[in-house]
Amino acid sequence: MKKAVWLWIAGIMLVAWSALPARAQAPSADEIMRRSYLAMYYQGEDMRARIFMRLISREGHERIRELTMTRRNLQLGGEQRYFLYFHRPPDVRDMALLVWAYLGRDDDRWLYVPALKLVRRIAASDKHTSFVGSDFSYEDVSGREPEEDTHKLLREEKIGERDAYVVESIPKDPAREDFSRKLSWIDRTTWLPLKVEHSDRRGDRARVFTAEETENVQGFWTITKRLMKNAQSGHWTEVVFKNVRYNLKLSPDLFSERALRAPPAELVR
Amino acid sequence: MRARWTSFRQGLVQWCADHPRTVLVLVFILTLAFGSQLPRIRTDTDPKNMLPITSPVRQYNDQVEGWFGLHPDVIVVEIQSERGVFTPEILARIARLTDAILRFPGVIARDVVALPTVNDVSIANGVLQARPILDRIPHDAAEAEGLKRQVLDNPLLAGRLVSTDARATAIYIPIEKSANGKAIADRLRQLTGKERGPERYYIAGDPVARDTFGAEMFRQMALFSPLAGMVMCGVLFLMFRSWWVVGANMAVAMIAIIWGMGLFIGLGIPIHIMASMSPVFLMAISTDTVHIFNEFVFRRREVGDRREAIRQTMAAVATPVLFSDLTTIAGFASLAIGPIIPVRVFGLLVAFGTFVILLMSFTLVPALLALAREGRPIPVSREDDLSSSWLGRIGQACVAWKTPVALVGVVLLVISAVGISKIRINNNMVSWFKPGSEIRVADRQLSRDLGGTAMLYLVADGKKSDAVTRPEFLKALEGLQRRIEREPVVGKAVSVADVVKRVHQVLSDNSPSRAMIPDSQEAVAQELLLFSMAARPRDLNNLVDYPHQKANLMVQLRSWNAVETRALLEKVRRDLTATPIPGAEVKPAGIAYFNMVWNDQVLVGMLEGFIASCIFVFFLLILDYRSPRWGVVSFLPLLFTVVLIYGAVGFVRKDFDMPISVLSTLSLGLAIDFAIHFVSRFQQRYRETRDLKGSLVWTAARPGRGIVRNAFLFASGFAVMLFAGLTPYITVGAFMIAIMLLSALATVVYLPALIALFPQWLTQRLKEER
Repeated sequence: MKKAVWLWIAGIMLVAWSALPARAQAPSADEIMRRSYLAMYYQGEDMRARIFMRLISREGHERIRELTMTRRNLQLGGEQRYFLYFHRPPDVRDMALLVWAYLGRDDDRWLYVPALKLVRRIAASDKHTSFVGSDFSYEDVSGREPEEDTHKLLREEKIGERDAYVVESIPKDPAREDFSRKLSWIDRTTWLPLKVEHSDRRGDRARVFTAEETENVQGFWTITKRLMKNAQSGHWTEVVFKNVRYNLKLSPDLFSERALRAPPAELVR
Repeated sequence: MRARWTSFRQGLVQWCADHPRTVLVLVFILTLAFGSQLPRIRTDTDPKNMLPITSPVRQYNDQVEGWFGLHPDVIVVEIQSERGVFTPEILARIARLTDAILRFPGVIARDVVALPTVNDVSIANGVLQARPILDRIPHDAAEAEGLKRQVLDNPLLAGRLVSTDARATAIYIPIEKSANGKAIADRLRQLTGKERGPERYYIAGDPVARDTFGAEMFRQMALFSPLAGMVMCGVLFLMFRSWWVVGANMAVAMIAIIWGMGLFIGLGIPIHIMASMSPVFLMAISTDTVHIFNEFVFRRREVGDRREAIRQTMAAVATPVLFSDLTTIAGFASLAIGPIIPVRVFGLLVAFGTFVILLMSFTLVPALLALAREGRPIPVSREDDLSSSWLGRIGQACVAWKTPVALVGVVLLVISAVGISKIRINNNMVSWFKPGSEIRVADRQLSRDLGGTAMLYLVADGKKSDAVTRPEFLKALEGLQRRIEREPVVGKAVSVADVVKRVHQVLSDNSPSRAMIPDSQEAVAQELLLFSMAARPRDLNNLVDYPHQKANLMVQLRSWNAVETRALLEKVRRDLTATPIPGAEVKPAGIAYFNMVWNDQVLVGMLEGFIASCIFVFFLLILDYRSPRWGVVSFLPLLFTVVLIYGAVGFVRKDFDMPISVLSTLSLGLAIDFAIHFVSRFQQRYRETRDLKGSLVWTAARPGRGIVRNAFLFASGFAVMLFAGLTPYITVGAFMIAIMLLSALATVVYLPALIALFPQWLTQRLKEER
């Protein structure tokens, strides 16, 4: 616990330091990606949001998903627990997914199927799999460790009104990845990615992430509306975060198999 | 009107004979102008484009592809090994090959279906597994064996991705619409050719066949058209012993082709498969000029003065040349009335080319005759006595044996009618390749091992959201699927029912007895969501649309035959009447269905257009001769030729396909041509001599020689095509020979017999005219 507190303080200091306006020189590419990783996936000790997801095909056909996502960090930049509870479409209401995310090894995932009153563990070896049929992969939802790639700061440029670092990331073990290159535009003040372009193995642009709306919630910059567009199929997914709350003081023990069958109110709000 | 035409024609011919060099230069300049357009040629070999983009079947197919994220063009690679493909070595090669394919330009990488890219949902030790089947290469035989059992256990994969005996697996490669299937297939062959393992590779699929055919088509055209032309030159020389005649004949053909193609290419019209055959047609029609040379050879001997010989020749043949060309033009132009654009283009191109031939007959040909060097008269045939020539004897025999000859003709027609009733209108692009060709072999192999390459979609539309997840809907869909799978033409069928059953079984600890559709709609929806968390989105999207309103029953057919698709769809229709899917309407789509509709619209459309043209030509003939009786007589060779050929097609069980439908229209150009020459010249002769029998024998012997020469010329030229590498060209060759010989036979044998049979009825008016 003590260790967690220290890490926590370090994290806050990191964010505070980053907010200082004047800097002598740009940080290294590794540092940028590390900070961005923390800003994107580790803000606050815990976090909860109501997620509205729209899956839209090239022809404009739409599928919706509404769920509550709760996250609890066990360690800054390290282990995390996720709980995802489905509200809509109505026929999948009460379905829930529990994820224990680790560093350096496959996550543990459990799924609850209410119609069959069944909890099943799911092996999560394929992190490129689509997240509930969307254009986001599991990796996009729970983060990709920056150490898995080699980063290079290409330039700094404005994207819209925002100053951004443009970082190129090449996977260290390309055989295991579905992308060959990733270009990230990282906001210089919030460290959140504003845009990410993934290239497929052939080197063609495959998926493009854009942060559409960003809000400051309880002092944490949060992307409240994001898009992932498949540049090849024309399919895209919009994700809107509502009712975002940080530091709810949720116990890690809440994130248990038991919660899947009878989720406590804190996890479904 | 006629008088005005005669004076115009005489003036034109006279002027051309007087200014041959001017005519040559003018024609040359115009030919250069048209020829300059040729390099701008745009070709379109996709048979799909023979139906306009706005046609309902294309629009519906595009819609279905949109709903389910499907791709119309898929190349299939089969990897086959007698000892099974589940060995670490072969699996490693498959992984390497797949990885290379994903990098090919033009390949829709995200939707490539292969062992390394398909996720399998399974359960092991109570843990749901969702990962690519070939996540990593098995280390040893035992591990590979385990993988094999896992794949064969999954009904979504067995029989489709891996053959049920595990001796074959496939890579399904969707390609962009703009990509060239042959180019990708060639790259694939380069890759697979380097492999030295025990396995064999087969490459099939509609885009490969189509684009290979497109490339081959022009290659074979470029090889065989000149070859046929050369053979014809040789034969022409043997007939007339004069390079002038050979050159003049070929010049007329080439000019017609260059002007026709040049005009259409210059107008920016793409050349489809059909129009690409028009040079062959124009070459055939241009032999009309043989009649002129034939007559000139006779006249030159009778008349001393060359210019007078030209004048007399042209006066004698003007009417038949004009009538036959005009009728041919009208016949082909009337093909343009139909709705199918490439057929229209083809009809108009040939019509325009024929017009050019007509024009050349009265300009370039007399000019060339005038230029033929003096002092070297065209050699004279030794057969001076017409009545003793073999054609004359045939004419005499036909007149003498008129009744038996006519009876034999009637019997032939009746037998052919039986053959026609057996005709099967069918189109199958794969069969355009020879049986031993790589494409045919690969197609057979895939049909045997992996359910075939022709995709048929049966789209069940539940009319409102979440209709598909209703258990009764899924159960009815599954029932339909199981019954379809029993049809021999069906290789494999997959539907969303399979997905639900698979997930349900896996969730129930993989107990085979639980491979069923659960009874609650919520359970179905949740199992589908679970599947979408485990598989690639396309694996579900291909089978059910976004609002869960429509389900796609994907059926792989072992055959590209349109008739088999029709038979299957008829069975499906009856099946659905007996046991409907509650609340749903089922409609077919997919390339196999498209092929069937194409068959109906293009082939039947072509056939209808042809029949309409024949009727049109019949009335034109009546107008030409201002006599219904002579119209009937001159129409008979066309009818005889067409009926006999279609009858033979029915008897030998050759499918009535596109090459046949196109080629049969050629009889419009030839049979009519022969008949008009015969009838016109007979009428002239009869008006002069009033001797029926003598006129018939004279016509059979003199203009008849032009007809037989013409026919023989072409039969020999196109016999070369019998050795082509693509069956449509072999068909072209065989058809040319058949049309030539039958038209000539019908003209030289049946016209004398018929005219002799009804002399009073026919010649009454001719006598009055005098």
